[in-house]
Amino acid sequence: MKDFIGLRAIRGAGYTLLLLLEALGYINHAWKRRRALFTQMHVIGTQSLAITCFFMLLVGMVFALQTGIEFARFGQTSLVGLVIVSAMVRELGPWMTAFVLIARVGSSMAAEIGTMKTSEEIDALEVMSINPVSFVVMPRLLGYAIMGPILTIFGTLVGVAGGALVSKVQLGVPLDDFLRMAERGAEPLDIYWGLLKSLVFSLCAGAVACANGMRTTGGAVGVGRASRNTVVVALTLTVFLNYLLTSFYRMVKRLVAGIL
Amino acid sequence: MALNVQTEKSSPAALVDTTPMVEFAGVSKTLAGRRILDRLTFNVKKGETFVIIGYSGTGKSVTLRNLIGLMRPDEGSIRVAGEEITTMSNKELEVMRRKFGVLFQSGALIAWLDLFQNVELPLLEHTKMSRRKRTEIVQQKLELVNLWQDKDKFPAEISGGMKKRAGLARAIALDPELVLYDEPSSGLDPVIAYEIDKLINRLRDQLKMTQIVVTHDMESAYTIASRIGMFYQGGMLQIGTPDEIRASDIAEVQHFITGGREGAVSRRSTTAIMKGRSPTFSARLEAGMDEAEAETTGEATPAIMELEPEPSPPEPENKP
Ligand SMILES: Nc1ncnc2c1ncn2[C@@H]1O[C@H](COP(=O)(O)OP(=O)(O)OP(=O)(O)O)[C@@H](O)[C@H]1O
Ligand SMILES: [Mg+2]
Repeated sequence: MKDFIGLRAIRGAGYTLLLLLEALGYINHAWKRRRALFTQMHVIGTQSLAITCFFMLLVGMVFALQTGIEFARFGQTSLVGLVIVSAMVRELGPWMTAFVLIARVGSSMAAEIGTMKTSEEIDALEVMSINPVSFVVMPRLLGYAIMGPILTIFGTLVGVAGGALVSKVQLGVPLDDFLRMAERGAEPLDIYWGLLKSLVFSLCAGAVACANGMRTTGGAVGVGRASRNTVVVALTLTVFLNYLLTSFYRMVKRLVAGIL
Repeated sequence: MALNVQTEKSSPAALVDTTPMVEFAGVSKTLAGRRILDRLTFNVKKGETFVIIGYSGTGKSVTLRNLIGLMRPDEGSIRVAGEEITTMSNKELEVMRRKFGVLFQSGALIAWLDLFQNVELPLLEHTKMSRRKRTEIVQQKLELVNLWQDKDKFPAEISGGMKKRAGLARAIALDPELVLYDEPSSGLDPVIAYEIDKLINRLRDQLKMTQIVVTHDMESAYTIASRIGMFYQGGMLQIGTPDEIRASDIAEVQHFITGGREGAVSRRSTTAIMKGRSPTFSARLEAGMDEAEAETTGEATPAIMELEPEPSPPEPENKP
């Protein structure tokens, strides 16, 4: 019964949540740890920019192509702009960026912290009365939470651009038409919502990565396991959260529409 | 390092005062179903260098971890400078630990900081010193371990021995009252190992630090110890001055300190301990015969034991 998998999962989830809260509690150390924070922002953000943009560009292009083919059957190819922008801003932008970050940053973050754990570095910090959550976890989590939404903005813009490119070149939709429809695809509220989602995903994935790292036991094998678990759990969690958040948003929008 | 170690060695116990710095009383700890510490009891006096010897994988590191509060014992009391630490809250422990310097078995340097920053870290975190003062102290500590010229290197760029020396510099950065060493000389060449021994003696003589050293290296143990404690089956089998330990008439102690050349016992029961069963008294000793190999793998493995099968008839195993 001790190794009952559900129980382990619950314990893991509990630990992750507590770690997240504790790390947020150390946010007042951010200035003291600014060097670590900037390093993390660089690693998480700047270094992920190219791959995120490349990824989103292609997502936008494929998406435009696919919807364009269907719309063409009804002679509505000009609607492509609307669909792309609304999907990019609210769904694809935040989640696909989170996806890229989990694969690129989450796994390595868990491995890095896991290695620190198995090589006694975390213990050494504790012995030096330096709280590992403040020293190791907080800068990573905060860096993740800051850079996730910023990358989402870039990713979404590039994704839309990719869509516009395909629309013009392959679907024959003039850029003006695309943009005119695009404007109607997203309200300001949608944009904020997309960014909020991205923030939630980032905190989530970051916390999962750090928690897996901090709970690593058993040498190199354990580090590998932590890294793998991070990717699986963070992806599952964000895709599930995404569904919940989208449902919630839809409900709110309908309520608001009903009131007005 | 102009210290004459040879003369120190003969009567170091006389130099220290008798108030205990560390008191273990009846400490027990069970890990993964094995009783690693079994009513462990010993005292370390202020200003002395207490050396813990014992076979690999028996619980010396666990003893240190309990003392630092990284693990809590199942029962028993551990006092540091008279204060009970087993019941301390994490906050109280944090304060307590500032008196400690710890050298971990692997050095445990922070990977993304260079050596200078690693040694500077405790100063940055716990003092309000100016940058100049910090630099001065870091330089002093790094020079002490002969690493000042490597101060810009990162842990991944230096050898295991250098990591350990840098870890030592960091451990003593705040001039702690109590320094714990987990195998300070393993992985070092004999010359540097001897340098570390001299350094440990200097810390005792000049800075009056209390030190607890876990080591496998008997040469080094004799050089630095005020007293030596032989850790065995979860407790202290014998505690005494280096001379007393050398002259010990306990077979197990002789076996360990002579590297298995004296006081050997039959091999059969070794497998018992390797398989995690409660070992017989002599079985644990057997494990130590392959200590050198065991250390490189991190723990003793059955494979090593099987290399040398015992030709004589086996003695019966004692199960708990
Ligand atoms: N966290 C833990 N969980 C379970 N078992 C542990 C844990 N830490 C140590 N052990 C076990 O306790 C025993 C003693 O380990 P310890 O590291 O104290 O040995 P040691 O005497 O320091 O050996 P060495 O000289 O090789 O460093 C080992 O068998 C080890 O497997
Ligand atoms: Mg050890």
